[in-house]
Amino acid sequence: MLKVENLFLKRGSFVLHKLSFKVKKHSYFVILGQTGSGKTMLLEALAGLQNIEGKIYCDDVDVSDMPPEKRNFGFVYQDFVLFPNMNVKENIKYSSKYKKIADKENLFEDIVSFLRIENILKRDIRYLSGGEKQRVAIARAIYSRPKLLLLDEPLSAVDPTFRNSIMKSLKDIVKRYSMTIIHVTHNFREASFLADRVAVLLDGKILQTGDAYEVLNKPKNIEVAKFLGFKNIFPATLLGFDQKGRYFSVDPNKIGFGDKQGEGFYSFPCVIENILGMSEHYKVFAKVGDETFFCKVHHSAFDKKRLKEGMKTNMYIDKKDVAFI
Amino acid sequence: MKTDKFFVLIFMFLASILVLFLTIPLIKLFVSVGIVNIFTTIQEKEVYDSIFLTLRSAFYAVVFVCVTGIPLAYLIARYDFWGKSILESVLDIPVMVPHTAAGIALLIAFSNGYFDFIDTVTGIVSAMMFLSAPFLINGAKEGFKKVDVKYEYVARTLGASRMSAFFSIALPNARNDIINGALMMWSRGLGEFGAVVIIAYHPMVAPVLIYDRFNNYGLKYSAPVAASMILVSVCLFLAVRYVNNRLR
Repeated sequence: MLKVENLFLKRGSFVLHKLSFKVKKHSYFVILGQTGSGKTMLLEALAGLQNIEGKIYCDDVDVSDMPPEKRNFGFVYQDFVLFPNMNVKENIKYSSKYKKIADKENLFEDIVSFLRIENILKRDIRYLSGGEKQRVAIARAIYSRPKLLLLDEPLSAVDPTFRNSIMKSLKDIVKRYSMTIIHVTHNFREASFLADRVAVLLDGKILQTGDAYEVLNKPKNIEVAKFLGFKNIFPATLLGFDQKGRYFSVDPNKIGFGDKQGEGFYSFPCVIENILGMSEHYKVFAKVGDETFFCKVHHSAFDKKRLKEGMKTNMYIDKKDVAFI
Repeated sequence: MKTDKFFVLIFMFLASILVLFLTIPLIKLFVSVGIVNIFTTIQEKEVYDSIFLTLRSAFYAVVFVCVTGIPLAYLIARYDFWGKSILESVLDIPVMVPHTAAGIALLIAFSNGYFDFIDTVTGIVSAMMFLSAPFLINGAKEGFKKVDVKYEYVARTLGASRMSAFFSIALPNARNDIINGALMMWSRGLGEFGAVVIIAYHPMVAPVLIYDRFNNYGLKYSAPVAASMILVSVCLFLAVRYVNNRLR
């Protein structure tokens, strides 16, 4: 559906480095990245709001030089950008002044009931809550019948209590309105719930693209792993592999202390460096050679092992809990 | 709180000195002339024509600057380009120069035979426009700066062309600043004397008529014209602001 080839964009000191990716028709594509990694700029480039080098194809048509009004891509900004000189209904119907919208009255009714905004249609946008503004902005974008809907951190300004229901609505949009969505966020939980496919954008570069499960669970490099919150990232040489440049990661909850020998485990001698007591577990920092492992040890296990700072012991990891990067 | 009360009282005292300074001359003028005398004066043909000419000329100046100055203000607000700060400084020069000097400059620039400039409405409008345009341009510029460019971006993704996005989003949302700027420009135009008198003593705009009557007949004959002009201006400003607030 959407094919991006070598998209290059420079604004001041910030650069999007020749990005290439594809988005399938009627799929939910999430671009994950830290704040300042270029996510909004990328969406604006796709929408035709920034001058770029490279090519953007939509349904095999080159739209790289098309103005935004001809591309038929909807856009919802993080701060929703509802037009202050119009009420809710006028905001939603804005596109009908410039586009022919098939069966527009039924579509309007359907969107309004789907997003549960029937009661606020005549309201001034100044008197809407964050969640209402967000739903109106989405309604306005859907009503214009875009082929592709671009969502810029749409949940960041929404009260956490409404997030789950809005996420569900976002997911339903793809099927209900036969739309393709590109959603940018820094929140990998959002990505995990919503995405069919995920791309990780860091410092203006796409570092990994793939199925949501694969990207979120099997990062291909350290930057992606760190961004996704992977802990205990160390060289694979620590496990006895001789490949330089290969790393592994292990969940702090999956590390055990004591003697555990056998084919299914990696085991090493360690020194307990530091212990911090938390309500449900202890945070234990254990030194193995030059590396410090971060482990979460449940109270019962902690008491059983009688771990103390400065104590020499063994730690072990089940091989199936090791993720190689 | 005691300290708060003391603080507010000091500020109220200082502010009231200025408010009295600004209002006493106007109140004194209206009281000394009297409302009957003001209405009699307005009905004099010379005074009526003069006030109408002043209002008309200032309005033409505002219309011309709306058509040309609003696009200029938009360009300055939205784009960064070479020489932008120089351009902004140049646009502010008319506010700084003595008005008679501006009149002389306009005379040198435009009384070259191509324009019917001296002692014409065109000359009067030019003088008013030269000295008051920055008020509208700066007002519009600030107004456009307050309208986040993302509003226009979204409008465009919803099918609006660049021009449609400007007229449906940028302009209505900058409207209050533009109207305030236009009112400021208009009021400045109404009071313009120095540059106008150099270019067109006749036909007489109200400030020139007031000066002329003061010079030839004294305070008794010029005060009613001044009071009439102020009254008409204030009524029109209030009307425009009222309509603008109702439309908001």
